[in-house]
Amino acid sequence: MSQLSVRHLLGIKDITEADMQLIFETADHFKEVLNRPIKKVPSLRDITIANVFFEDSTRTRLSFELAEKRLSADVINFSASGSSVKKGETLLDTVNNILAMKVDMIVMRHSSVGAPHFLSRHIKANIVNAGDGTHEHPTQALLDSFSIREKLGEVAGKKIAIIGDILHSRVALSNIFALQKLGAEVMVCGPSTLIPRYIGELGVRVEHNVRKALEWCDVANVLRIQLERQQGKLFPSLREYTQYFGIDKKMLDSLNKEIVLMHPGPINRGVELSSDAADSAHSIILDQVENGVAVRMAVLYLLASSRE
Amino acid sequence: MDVLFKNVKFFAPNSPFHLQSQSLHIQNGKIVTIGKGTSPAETEVDAEGLWVSAGWFDMHAEITDPGFEHKEDSVSVANAAAAGGFTEMLCFANTEPLLQTKNALQSLTQQTKNLPVTFHAVGGATMNGEGKDLTEILDMQAHGAIAFSDGNIGIQQAEVVLKALQYLQISDGLLINRAEHLKLNDRGQMHEGLVSTRLGLKGMPALAEELHLTRDLELLAFNGGKLHVPFISSAKSVEKIREAKAKGMQVTCGVATYQLAFTDEQIIPFDTNYKVNPPLRSAADRKALIEGLLDGTIDVLVSGHKPEDVENKKLEFDHAAFGMINLETAFSVARTFARELPLEVILEKIITNPRKILNLPQPEIKENSDANLTFFKPDGTWVYAENKVRSKSKNSPFIGMELTGKVFGTVHKGQFTRNEA
Repeated sequence: MSQLSVRHLLGIKDITEADMQLIFETADHFKEVLNRPIKKVPSLRDITIANVFFEDSTRTRLSFELAEKRLSADVINFSASGSSVKKGETLLDTVNNILAMKVDMIVMRHSSVGAPHFLSRHIKANIVNAGDGTHEHPTQALLDSFSIREKLGEVAGKKIAIIGDILHSRVALSNIFALQKLGAEVMVCGPSTLIPRYIGELGVRVEHNVRKALEWCDVANVLRIQLERQQGKLFPSLREYTQYFGIDKKMLDSLNKEIVLMHPGPINRGVELSSDAADSAHSIILDQVENGVAVRMAVLYLLASSRE
Repeated sequence: MDVLFKNVKFFAPNSPFHLQSQSLHIQNGKIVTIGKGTSPAETEVDAEGLWVSAGWFDMHAEITDPGFEHKEDSVSVANAAAAGGFTEMLCFANTEPLLQTKNALQSLTQQTKNLPVTFHAVGGATMNGEGKDLTEILDMQAHGAIAFSDGNIGIQQAEVVLKALQYLQISDGLLINRAEHLKLNDRGQMHEGLVSTRLGLKGMPALAEELHLTRDLELLAFNGGKLHVPFISSAKSVEKIREAKAKGMQVTCGVATYQLAFTDEQIIPFDTNYKVNPPLRSAADRKALIEGLLDGTIDVLVSGHKPEDVENKKLEFDHAAFGMINLETAFSVARTFARELPLEVILEKIITNPRKILNLPQPEIKENSDANLTFFKPDGTWVYAENKVRSKSKNSPFIGMELTGKVFGTVHKGQFTRNEA
């Protein structure tokens, strides 16, 4: 198999395990390219990609832009704050305007769940979902699994704990779908008010004690506390959160085992992770960032090669 | 008008002609002869498999005129209702200005008097729909309001519901109150469950309905009075109503026919036509609703018709408005998707029960009475084509679908409204 089963990358839900393996193998190759003196390949020379970000992003947008440039695509960037773009007419109009300039692919981040799915029904360009509300962030999950695979050899059979704000997290949801498809065991851990009520029905374990979660897992993927996404106070204070759900190096060392620490960034240092933990030998946080470029190159390359 | 229906099968449980095929001659809005001879008429209808019943009654459609005529006006809603077989319907205070004064009632009567459908006004229960102070209920009642409700918004405060129930007892009036705890549904987009979790969409827990319903039932038990819950959607709500009825409380309720057609799985492709409130729930809830209809816990089937223009629907899911149009398809949707319901059960819920709840006369099919009739083919199939939609808004997931159960036309207020063949 050398082609993806989909035309768009809307979510991990919509792709197969074989798609993921193909993306990983392609990303292996691109990662090797990224370590050459000349880091650029001509694969997407005739492709124009628009990065359309209706929500703030620094690292995801940079990572995509770098991936696109490494593949020699022509790149345009569009950013609008979520508040100034309220209506889908505007979303559709905005994107159609960009497409009228003969754009082939759209990388989009939007605050609304399903926005890229909505778009995919109305436009022809290939779409990569760079995060839709509290739904999915598929490239993040791909790079997370890719990083686990790189560090531990494989994902299948590994125990992964996702720790933090699960309720507002598209990273958690995409990670759950990806890890389960790849054969890993998944646990979510956090205050009960930050865990969706029915998450257990997805086949994940639920834990509220961070130490127990760390004792159980091979990999801890710690999520950012998304203060900006909270509607109403879901936990009493950051102080209490850090006290009961924060992770520091002392705690990691006391486990007396190998544990891999991940974080999708940006880290609230001193809240969910202490600095000494984030910078410890357990952490592969910067590998995740590096792998992000290779994985996104793989996704863009494979989607582009599915074009007629 | 002068129409002769030949060989039409009667659905009229109180008539000697019940379930018989007879001829029916209507002149100038009156039934002149049944079954005898065949005096020639201006128009003759002899359609295979045609049934007649008393005119159908929809207890919950949203009429957006005045105020939102771009979504639907009184003419388009009447045409849609007649096409769906309805000859009478309730009109709620979802208008702008609100239906909460004598003047507004009079203007509604004036505006709709020549339309083929009778609009019964439901006056606003609280001033400006704010859920605080009562409207002039007795004055509105004297000028034609047959029930009182804040329409789409359930009254949130317990003391206001209590006051409304209490005040309405003066005149044996009916309070129609939606069961929805707004804060528990805050920003919710769909039924809370496994599907909403998978989609990352904020859920609307069944609890939001059940909690409000339980409270209203407690208030009713405490105070007495008459309460109608316009639509319920969860298994537990059915159970609560069943228990209340067993205790002899004067509570009735309805369900929208589309609620019987789908579950929350329908939301997966983010099609906003399935975004409704109360939301499409689980398969177990759907099954409980069917059981509730069969055992009489649920009294009426309604269209739940809620027109929304394309600007409010062709959007990202969380920005799209709730609601679907269903006046033209209400009966067919029940026939097509709720095969468990016998025809007579469906008809009871759209003919006799609404009028019982509202204390209105039951139209009779007998000689010398005014014709208030619906003609239909219970097993006829048809496709709800977009270019035939009478409603001004097109927010229906049924467009393009083949449906079973076809309305042929209505005779009411001296008008024969006939659907195209």
